[in-house]
This record gives sequence, C-alpha cells and structure tokens, in this order.
Amino acid sequence: MTTAAREFLRSATRETANLPARRAIRHAVDQYDAALERGRTQFLDWEAARQKCYEIKWEALNHLDRYLLEFEERVKARGGQVFWAETAEEARGYVAEVASRCGVRTVVKSKSMVTEEIHLTPALEKLGIRVFETDLGEFIMQLRNEPPFHIVTPAMHLTRSDIAKLFHEKLADAMTSGAAGDDPPELVAAARRALRQAFFSAEMGITGANFLVADAGMIAITTNEGNDRLGTALPRIHVAIAGIEKVIPRMGDLATLWPVLATAGTGQTITCYNTLIGGPRAPGEIDGPEEFHVVLLDNGRTDLLADAEQREVLHCVRCGSCLNACPVFRTVGGHAYHTTYSGPIGSVLTPHLRGLNEFQHLSYASSLCGACSSVCPVKIDLHHHLLHNRRNAVHEGDRPWQERIGFRMWRWAMSGSRRFAVMGWLGRSASRILQWLKLGGTRLDPLRPWTKYRAAPVIPRKSFRAMWRESGER
Amino acid sequence: MESGENPGRERVLGRIRSALKAPAAHHDSVAGDRPIFRVVTDPLERFQSECANNATECILVADADSAREALRSVLASVPSGEVYVEDASLPHRLLKELDGGHSVRWSSEGPPSESSQATVTTAECLVASHGSVLMTSSNGGRGASVVAPVHIVVATEAQLAPDLSAALARVKQSGVAERNSSLFLITGSSRTADIEKILVLGAHGPRRLVVILIRNPK
Repeated sequence: MTTAAREFLRSATRETANLPARRAIRHAVDQYDAALERGRTQFLDWEAARQKCYEIKWEALNHLDRYLLEFEERVKARGGQVFWAETAEEARGYVAEVASRCGVRTVVKSKSMVTEEIHLTPALEKLGIRVFETDLGEFIMQLRNEPPFHIVTPAMHLTRSDIAKLFHEKLADAMTSGAAGDDPPELVAAARRALRQAFFSAEMGITGANFLVADAGMIAITTNEGNDRLGTALPRIHVAIAGIEKVIPRMGDLATLWPVLATAGTGQTITCYNTLIGGPRAPGEIDGPEEFHVVLLDNGRTDLLADAEQREVLHCVRCGSCLNACPVFRTVGGHAYHTTYSGPIGSVLTPHLRGLNEFQHLSYASSLCGACSSVCPVKIDLHHHLLHNRRNAVHEGDRPWQERIGFRMWRWAMSGSRRFAVMGWLGRSASRILQWLKLGGTRLDPLRPWTKYRAAPVIPRKSFRAMWRESGER
Repeated sequence: MESGENPGRERVLGRIRSALKAPAAHHDSVAGDRPIFRVVTDPLERFQSECANNATECILVADADSAREALRSVLASVPSGEVYVEDASLPHRLLKELDGGHSVRWSSEGPPSESSQATVTTAECLVASHGSVLMTSSNGGRGASVVAPVHIVVATEAQLAPDLSAALARVKQSGVAERNSSLFLITGSSRTADIEKILVLGAHGPRRLVVILIRNPK
C-alpha cells in the first residue's frame, strides 16, 4: 500500500468518527440540496442545459490549440501578457518573477483551486510577500493554516462558533471590542474590516479564471463576495492563473455556462459577480491595473487530453456538485483525501495529475452509486472513469501480487461448475469454522476489512445450487 | 513577451497537438436547439421580480423628474461624505445639487476614494431574466461598482435585454466588449454564505444595490 493510501485510510477512519464535522457537512449539504432544487426551476430543461455545456466544452477541448491561440492573440492585442507554464514550478517561477520585478510586498488573492494545486502562496511567502486570501471561506482556512475543505465551500466543516473562536484569537483588532458573539454578520464584517486595508495597499491581485473566452480574449471570474472585483480594480498588477482546459469558444456560451455553474455550485440562479477582463487598464479608463498577466497551466493536463477515453474529465468546471452528492465525501470530508481536488472529481483527476500508482486507491473511494455522474452539470461520466482508473491501475500500475493470484484463482474457480461448487463449499466451511472459533473480525479473518465494523452474515450450510436442486425435486 | 522567453509555449502547444491526434470518444449531439430557459415575455415585470429575489432595490419611475426625486431619497439614507458619480449625461441631469452633507466626486476626477459612501453610475444594459446589471469599465471605472457600501445604478427601460444571450450578443456586436478592458455582470449586492451557509449581505462589495429604472427619460 502506498503512503498516500495509508494516509487516506487513516484519515477517513478518523473523520468518519468526527461527528461535529459530519453534522456541519450534513447541514451544509442539506442547505445546498434545498437551494439546488430552487435554482433548477430557472431551467425549462435542465438536461438540455447539461448537454449544451457538455458540447461547449467538448468543442473547446477537441480544438484546444486553436482556441488557446485565439485567446492569447486577443489578450496580447489589448496589452496583456500570456505565459504558458508546462509545470507548476514554471508557473510559480513566473509569478514570483513578476512580483520581484515590480517590488510587490502584498498580494490579495481570490479563491482559486489552481493556485492551491501549484502551491503558489508558500512560494510567494518565501520571498517575503504577504499573501491574503480574500474569499471569506479561504480566509478562514488560511487563518487556520489548512487547505480548503471543499472546492466551493472551503470552510464547510466549521461551525460559527469555531470561526468566532478563530477570529477572536487571530483578528482581535477587527472584531468589535467586547463582542463575544458568533453572529455571522458580525464575523463577516470583521473579515471585511481586516481585508479592506489589504485590498487598498496590495500591489498585486491574483485570481483564477472560471473560463477563458477565446473569441473575446477575456477571462471570466465568478464570485459572490466581489473580492475578485476589488482585487482586479485596485492593485497595480493583476495575474490570472488558469488550467489550459478552461478555454471556451465564444462569449455567448456564458449565457448557458454562468447560470449552470451558479446553480450547480450553490443553487443560485446566477452568481452575484460575473466579471470579464481582457487586459490592463485601457487608455482613457479611470482605474485598473497597469499590467495584466495570464498564466496558462498544463501541469499534467495534456496527458489527460491524450487519453481519448477520459478526455472529458477536463470538462470539469469545479462546481463541487459531485462532492455534495457523494456518500463518501459526505462521510469522510475533504481533508481525508490529502489532495487538492477531493470528492469524485478529485478521485478521478488526481491519479492523472500526480501519478496512477500513488493515487490509485482513490478509485476505490466510491460506492459506484453514480450520484456524481448524475449531478455533473457538464455530464462527466465520473463513476465510469473511476472504473477506467481501476482497470488502468491493473494493467499499468503495481497491484499487490496477492490480488493477482486471488483473481487468477477466482477466474479458474468460476470457469467450471464443479470447481465453483468445491470452492463454494470450502468458503462456507472456512467461514463457519472462523465463527465457531470466534475469530470473525480478528486479524486472522481474511474478511477483516469488512467484518471489523460489521457483523458477518451467517453463511447457510447449503449452497444455492443444492437448495435449487431440492426445490426442483419437490 | 516574445515566445523565445517562454519555451514552455511551444512545448505545451506541441503536447496538445499530439494529444489531439487520438480522436475523442464519440458523443451524440442531442442538445441541438432544445430550449434551455423559459422565454422572457415581459422583460420589465421579470426584471422587477428577479430584483426582488436577489435583494436588488429596483425603483421604477416614470420620468427624469421622479428619478431625481428617487435618487435624492436614496442618498438621504446614506451617511454624509463623498458620493462618487460617473461623469455621464444621465447622472448629470439627475444630480444637480446635493444636500445632506454629501460632496460629489465625478469620475473624471479619478477613481473613487476608499471612504466613498455611495456611487452612482449608469449601466451598459439590464438583464431581465436574472435581474442583473451589465456594466463596463466605462461606467465609472472598475472600482465604481464595488468600493462603496451603496451602489446606485440609473438606467432606462430601453436598456432592458430579455436574457443573458441577448445582453452578451449586444455587447459583443456593438464593439463594447472590444472597447472596454472589462465587463461586469452584477446580480444583487455582495454576499457570502461561507459560514454555516447563512446568507450575509455586504461581504466585500456593496451592501445595497439600487436600480433606478426610468421608463421615459425624455
């Protein structure tokens, strides 16, 4: 078993018993489910909306070079700069170089999973730069020194009293003196006060991008708080970082993608702030940054692109709905995965981005119920991709030799009726002996991973075949 | 930046091109032109009801005189201090003089200051289907719609687009998207539900978004 797999099992076991966190997740997901139902009523035909989004992304990905070049050309025409980064290291290096050249001391960041993926913040902090996460959920997680728990709702597992305690500890200045409450509006106001100064003093704003619009040469950013808006209006430099798969062909595509992203993400009909930015402050404009940089990140995405069977995994718009729907995520939460992207999409994606061998165990962090595939707004067939990853791990990766031998024996036993009967008899007898010796669930029980937490069913003496024969004779 | 300084560019493009040599799994195009959203039959009525849903204060007025009155009464509830106003003809017509301890800073004098109490801008168009305001960086700049706690938009009924498709087509075809470095689709005031999914208005941007919608500005 790999280190990552052991870590996952350990954390998953611990988090399953973490009842306060599970209550918080349950509460958040229930709220989401109710909102989702309301949000979907804006669609005359939700399935047509999903299909449309699928087709937009399909078109973009299968002509990725053409649309990226179109995007690049238009950004450059407006005076923006485009940097192509093959690896996380190249992307970090570029941002660090821009920051050093411009004497950046403070950065305000909008929520961006891709910056988590490339570990941008620690790299900038190493240069002595102060980095502020400005999305409230991300800000909370930064104060806790933890990665986001969920793609869309980073502090999903925390209660208001957890957050109040944290703010009293770390943001004493911004909390109203004397107020000991855990009133959400007061907590939001404290975060606003604490970050306001950062917005007005930062030299650089860093954002992700939800979409890269090829025919307009603009990035599209979606937030509810408007933190992206302040971060791209006030600082001197704006750096946007996006995976290459974020490109879409046309601005008109947003007429479907924006409402679908909002509904799938939070159940809203549309998110409060949908921003399109194509360049630095243009001549004659009142404000805006002097420099605009877009970093296009590969970091393993082209390998996934080359896999025609799984290419559609790159359709993902990071709405988080597969996490909310997943019985595994709902039980173990986002941190147990120890990956940037958690839940079903993370389980599918991570083996591609960080190695099939090391992360193949995530293909089994699923009941294969298919809830993820049924909610995905861009119709990624997530649970089948988990199966594809399992198959690929058997063909290309290191599976334990016991498993290979076990399956060989299974195949041999299954391919003859007499063999099957003999093996069945052996299995039934062995399980009876184990139970008679009261060894069920102990280390000597080969079914221990299952029986450790569950009572093993009593195996009947007679096989199904025997019972069938008898009933036929009667 | 020259491509010579970015060797990753050719490498990434090369990897994309070779990856795409394997044709994608087939997909059936079934979406076709199946309608996704309900057709907006009465844009004005729809805009008002969507505003009510997303906590935008929509004030419908008959003409410029009543708009002036509406603007005055909204500003009366704003604490004294700077009001940042887009330097455009409609705000000029509606905002002759200010009382209540407000001073006007026109957008032609520079961006809004950190302590602005309210901003007044026009919009590029309004989107009925979602109760949204579509703005560009020409509508008072990038900060105008987010820096102050109150944002007041003055717009006319003629600016109503029925849905997002129509609004996006309008800014694309008219060259507005080309001329401006940024476009903003704003729906309601700044909000967050990051704490226990409880909705709180006024996260980083305005707590109040007010649209004064003038039926006949002449």
